[in-house]
Amino acid sequence: MPQFFSNKRLIILLASIIVLVAMIGFSMKQREELSWPEQFLKDTVGWTQSVFYKPANYIAGFFENVSEMKQIYHENKLLKARLDEYAQLSADYQELKDTNDTLKAQLDKQEDLTDYKIREASVIGRSPDSWNQFVFINKGSKDGIEPKMAVISPQGFIGKISKVSPFHSTVQLISDNDRTNRFSAIVQGNDRIFGTIEGYDSKKQKLMFKKIPMDAKIKKGQQVITSGLGEVFPRGLLIGEITEVEPDEVGLTQTAYLKPSANLFDLDHLMVLERKMETLDEDEFTKEEE
Amino acid sequence: MNRILLPFLAYVAFVAESTIMQVMLPEYNGEGWLMVPRFTLVIILFISMYLKPQVGIAYALVFGLLTDLLYTDIIGVYMFSMALTAYLTSVFSRLVFGNVFVAFFLSLIGVTCLETLVFGLNSLVGVADMAWGIYLYDRLLPTLLLNGVFTLAIYYFIDKHLQKIKDRLN
Repeated sequence: MPQFFSNKRLIILLASIIVLVAMIGFSMKQREELSWPEQFLKDTVGWTQSVFYKPANYIAGFFENVSEMKQIYHENKLLKARLDEYAQLSADYQELKDTNDTLKAQLDKQEDLTDYKIREASVIGRSPDSWNQFVFINKGSKDGIEPKMAVISPQGFIGKISKVSPFHSTVQLISDNDRTNRFSAIVQGNDRIFGTIEGYDSKKQKLMFKKIPMDAKIKKGQQVITSGLGEVFPRGLLIGEITEVEPDEVGLTQTAYLKPSANLFDLDHLMVLERKMETLDEDEFTKEEE
Repeated sequence: MNRILLPFLAYVAFVAESTIMQVMLPEYNGEGWLMVPRFTLVIILFISMYLKPQVGIAYALVFGLLTDLLYTDIIGVYMFSMALTAYLTSVFSRLVFGNVFVAFFLSLIGVTCLETLVFGLNSLVGVADMAWGIYLYDRLLPTLLLNGVFTLAIYYFIDKHLQKIKDRLN
């Protein structure tokens, strides 16, 4: 039996375990800002990532197109049928929007929770171990992106900005299992039902929508949107559709499973949203108190 | 040229993990099981099989730190796991005769070791939330398949290159 660890090496191993624990402890703290070596590394690797990602995505897109050709005929038929509905819908939308604008003007209400400013960005990479659900985009603090901004794909809400360097930033997807990755959400409908999106069931590929009151009546097929009450995201971003409802372990609240409206694996062009409505400024409060 | 080829190769593998492979993998199509590319690790394992243990561990520390900083939220997990894996592989490879089968199995053992260490550490911290059975079948086995194929694909090239470096050093 050969000796794997001599005494000296055993000490090195133990010392490195202590260093490991210290480093984990250091990085578990909520850090808003990246240190400059991290920012530098992120940008350098980010540029090489974009060199690789674009052609790869292009090639994959080509094969996807070829396989989609078969379905195009059926899709075309369906879309033609939808087109008639669309004309009516867009007329309705325009009218509702006009009424809304006039009403807002009458009320002298300038901003509300749904207003946001859009910044477009492209995906340049994705975290390879799926323990961490991060996506990297090619816009950073130089383009005005800040941590905690909401990120959407054309189909719906996908996550928030978690780290920013000058030219690139990291998006934490809603499917990330981090315990701080929670969003306040509401079920769309007549009566507002509040809950939080907490975690992702990777086996079912569903988001978990928890802390819904026990007496709230929710059913399959209802849509869930962001509530905009967390002071960070705008209101009304589509998160997903309810597919399953069950009471939680303790039986005091309900848990619903959501099918995310955006495909979280096929991400290409994203939009970063900056909420227009001012959040409460804590300094002002303290000033007034004095 | 020869001197920078190895770090360059490892860096290309590192970037390819997050870009090219993410577009190609079946997870992309919404399958239940997923493959994790560990190409940088495979190259580091080759380095620690052929060259001195210190070289392999140095590569493992650098690329582990890069993985931690860029692809994850927690610093230290990959740095520790990759360095330990590289060290164990270099110890094992001294015991057995080196040929393509040995390299293949050592690489599979190395990938298993890293995946399990990372899974264990991430479960401790609370990032990973998966049952062991599901981990084994849906994640580890497909990952081994992917990286096994990669090991065989690069074996002849990297074997020749590392032998050359070894001869030059001696």
